[in-house]
Amino acid sequence: MSCRFGKVEAVRNLTLAVLAGSIYAFLGTNGAGKTTTIKTLLNLIKPDSGTARVLGADSTLLGPRELAQIGYVSENQELPERLTVKQLIAYCRSLYPTWDESLCRRLTEKFALPADRPMKGFSRGMKIKAALLVSLAYRPQLLLLDEPFSGLDPLVRDDLIQGMLELSEQENWTVFISSHDIEEVERLADHVGIIDSGVLTLSESSENLRTRFRRVDAILEEGATASPALFKDGLLPEVSGSTIRWVESHYVNDEELGSRIKAWLPDCRAWTGTPLTLREIFISLTRAQRAASPLSL
Amino acid sequence: MLPFPLRIQPGLPISEQLVYAVKKAVISGLLKPGSKFPSVRAVSQELRIHPNTAHKAIAVLVGEGLLEVHPGIGTVVGQIPAAPTEKELKLLEGEVERLVVEAKNRRLRLDDLQRIVKQQWNRLTGE
Repeated sequence: MSCRFGKVEAVRNLTLAVLAGSIYAFLGTNGAGKTTTIKTLLNLIKPDSGTARVLGADSTLLGPRELAQIGYVSENQELPERLTVKQLIAYCRSLYPTWDESLCRRLTEKFALPADRPMKGFSRGMKIKAALLVSLAYRPQLLLLDEPFSGLDPLVRDDLIQGMLELSEQENWTVFISSHDIEEVERLADHVGIIDSGVLTLSESSENLRTRFRRVDAILEEGATASPALFKDGLLPEVSGSTIRWVESHYVNDEELGSRIKAWLPDCRAWTGTPLTLREIFISLTRAQRAASPLSL
Repeated sequence: MLPFPLRIQPGLPISEQLVYAVKKAVISGLLKPGSKFPSVRAVSQELRIHPNTAHKAIAVLVGEGLLEVHPGIGTVVGQIPAAPTEKELKLLEGEVERLVVEAKNRRLRLDDLQRIVKQQWNRLTGE
């Protein structure tokens, strides 16, 4: 699907499938198109072309029945701030037939929210917790989270993650979570997608993603030179004196990479491969993408 | 709290790291045969990982006999068989070959290698 706002194409030809039962981390820098995508999934925005299907239904036809099975928490969550948490819970309980009172109690305890104070005086972290609490307690089949962790301290983030995992015994429970900070979802997600300037640059299992990247440092014999053009498969090649560094994106094992290096660089004296964190992978891929197709912003 | 330590590192699938952590805890005696092993849910919650990831690791450990599933009781740490079978020794051949190649590349002698293997053996198993 594609979505445009005036001249800006916020999402361009996005094709993406999220498997039921997965926790999908949708990563991108600010303005990459994450919020637009999520709003489309909730029928808050209509795509200009293409379609989005959510729980088997076209997103533009989502009605109360489907929406009652979707939980949604966003960075700019608006809450009825005059209400207390107790009043908010009482209100939401009446809206959702699948409301689970014992889960609600467990979450209230876990999140340690004051029950009888108007939410107006709450910190950002407390407000997000309250929003997640009432979105989890009806056991939605699909949880859409738009940057839920941004600007929160690590303790609050951890509480939120634990709260989400309270739902994990549920069958076919799917989470689609957007973030610009990878570290917080690195362990949790079993699938990862990266969007940049409205274009999906990657979508795969995090197991695959974790294993196929290495930063390679190769040292050449004295006096030997190499051209970075040799590494058209490697990302972000850099040459400095007799050292060459690049990011290898099809790593299988040391043996296989070693033989490829030998073929490319007969003068290679030694090399090392270092695993990358998801954050480093994200930065490398985004930089490489931008270097390959400079944007006219 | 989980009865074994695990610090998740980059570069390897989390489920493999979990399998390895449990194996290490079993040989060091941290996990005793017959003791209860945490549920998929508990492992997932403690490590903040996807329940499917925890499930995958536990399934591998059950498949290899390190964990046993007892209906009504749950998952327990399996009994360690007294002597390894030929088949189990064969499974290690790849790892040993890699170790010999690395050692030889670093100009180690066979007795150097035997010495460091013995050190690690003692450190991990307390024997």
